[in-house]
Amino acid sequence: MSRKITIDPVTRVEGHGRVTIHLDDYGQVRDSFFHIVEFRGFERFVQGHPYWEAPVLVQRLCGICPVSHHLAAAKAIDQIVGVQPENLTPTASKLRRLLHYAQVFQSHALHFFYLASPDLLFGVDAPVEKRNVVAVAVENRELAIKGITMRKFGQEVIKAVAGKKIHGILATPGGVHNSLSTAERDYFLDGKEIENVDKMIEWSEEMVAFIAAYHETNRKLLDEFAWFPSGHLSMTNSEGGMELYHGTLRAIDMDGNITLHDVPTDDYEKYFSEAVAQWSYMKFPYLKHLGREKGWNRVGPIARMNVCTFIPTPLAEKARKEYFSFAGHKVVNSTMYSHWARLIEMLHCAEEMKILLHDADILKNDLETKGIQTNKGIGIIEAPRGTLTHHYEVDDKGRITKCNLIVSTTHNNDAMNHAVRWVADHVINRKGTITDNMLNQVEVAIRAYDPCLSCATQALGKMPLKAELYDAAGNLLDEKYKN
Amino acid sequence: MMPPETCWMKNTKTDRSSILVLGIGNTGRADDGLGWKFLDELSTSPAEDLTVEYRYQLQIEDSELVSQYQTVFFVDASHTRIQDGFSIMPATPAAYYHFSSHAQNPETILYLAKTIYNKCPKAFTVAIAGQKWGLKQGLSKAASDNLRKALDGFHAIITSGA
Repeated sequence: MSRKITIDPVTRVEGHGRVTIHLDDYGQVRDSFFHIVEFRGFERFVQGHPYWEAPVLVQRLCGICPVSHHLAAAKAIDQIVGVQPENLTPTASKLRRLLHYAQVFQSHALHFFYLASPDLLFGVDAPVEKRNVVAVAVENRELAIKGITMRKFGQEVIKAVAGKKIHGILATPGGVHNSLSTAERDYFLDGKEIENVDKMIEWSEEMVAFIAAYHETNRKLLDEFAWFPSGHLSMTNSEGGMELYHGTLRAIDMDGNITLHDVPTDDYEKYFSEAVAQWSYMKFPYLKHLGREKGWNRVGPIARMNVCTFIPTPLAEKARKEYFSFAGHKVVNSTMYSHWARLIEMLHCAEEMKILLHDADILKNDLETKGIQTNKGIGIIEAPRGTLTHHYEVDDKGRITKCNLIVSTTHNNDAMNHAVRWVADHVINRKGTITDNMLNQVEVAIRAYDPCLSCATQALGKMPLKAELYDAAGNLLDEKYKN
Repeated sequence: MMPPETCWMKNTKTDRSSILVLGIGNTGRADDGLGWKFLDELSTSPAEDLTVEYRYQLQIEDSELVSQYQTVFFVDASHTRIQDGFSIMPATPAAYYHFSSHAQNPETILYLAKTIYNKCPKAFTVAIAGQKWGLKQGLSKAASDNLRKALDGFHAIITSGA
């Protein structure tokens, strides 16, 4: 008797997802799907609004990564007012970068400490009452304090630079509206009121050492769990190094061969297309010249680590070399390495924040650049979860006529479906029932990609957990709720 | 170090002002903005020992913030009908966990403050009944009336020193 297993929705991701696993008459997995069932349509909401509102409006996509949407939109709007990224004033460019590194730092801290650490500390088969950050706080108080303090540091930088921790505003068309005062800058350096940026670097190094040791003792699981081949996409700088704010787009295949060679972000439309599926509101981006089946890529920490040839800060670069030395591959295709990659990026962001906080340009008042208005702007950044694209077109009155958003989680749509399929094949296959442990392993695989389904579908919603089991005739065999 | 079961600071003065009011909500969703409107009203006559913080949702790091205060009020809109239009109830630490990185409840925040920082502020939840929850700015008439009653109730507690 064939069966359909539904996990609805997935927990500890941002938004509302649902997984269905279809078994054949022999109990083997026939198919699996990671459905995105919410829809809000932000791309349509934005149309008709004046372009200068976009960097503010799009922040409402998400309460977790509003800074990323703000900056991607700002880069696009810069082009509409005739200002290219390299023409921003040093103050504007460096303050935006400081904001961006703080955002990536705090977002990665949230994911690792609040969402992923229960999976790592207690194991993927831990009982449900242990699989949360409250249990982490009880059993590992020091880790909890560091996690909270590191996230808070990033949020405090965001607040200082953009005015608020959530939905603050820094960027204006062609620049920024404010710079930091000496006192605001020193707050993050002197360590008198909060742990300073040096402490963030020190703790980030500790976390990288922690995850490296964790891989050492759990190598088989982490190498094999949700392994699958794929392409990888990210921005790089002009030398091929890791670049999170502005660079060119590079993609590689599962073996490291370049499939997209450092193309300008403005040309993304030439190379990317988006497929749709009947069973999900989330699209499937892919490289046109490779086609729908072979052209999809992972994005985010694991992809950035694979694509770049170096990281331009010394401690993170040392950590990157150790990561690949341990992995033993030129390209890492193991899903669970994304946690390690994420922590290396935290270290990189902490180092970059220190450099910028010591740069006198962030205190100056040369804030904006003027240009000649155009009708099109494309802004691409490497957001915490991966490559984020904002594309706007405006009429002669400056009203937005087109908005296209390709968010990081959308790029990872195929990857998350492959991760679910791996768990289905290796954990659920030929089992007569589905257990909490199996459900959690599905979630662990998805969670490694830190999906933001709110961003991907621009949805609103609550998040109860419901699991349903159906037979081939559509009869409900079993159901479970978590709330 | 004290065991996590006990709090070494109970209602002692810190370097922070002594009362924290956390308003939770979203002013873009009609009466869901009650928590923020409550803070707006308090801010019209600021008190030296009272700090207000606006939140869309409570998050785990708020445990560090509440650990610095003697008394904490969590103010939020309520979807359920309340007899007097509002309620002010004591809140105590509890290890609930909601399946999300955001939207923790006050009891969990207090539990984390106790577990991680060994601090137990006196805490209350202020629930204010709302009626409208659509995508709209501004409160309904009923919610505005309930907001006024809740503010009176809050000031009565503060004045009495309870």
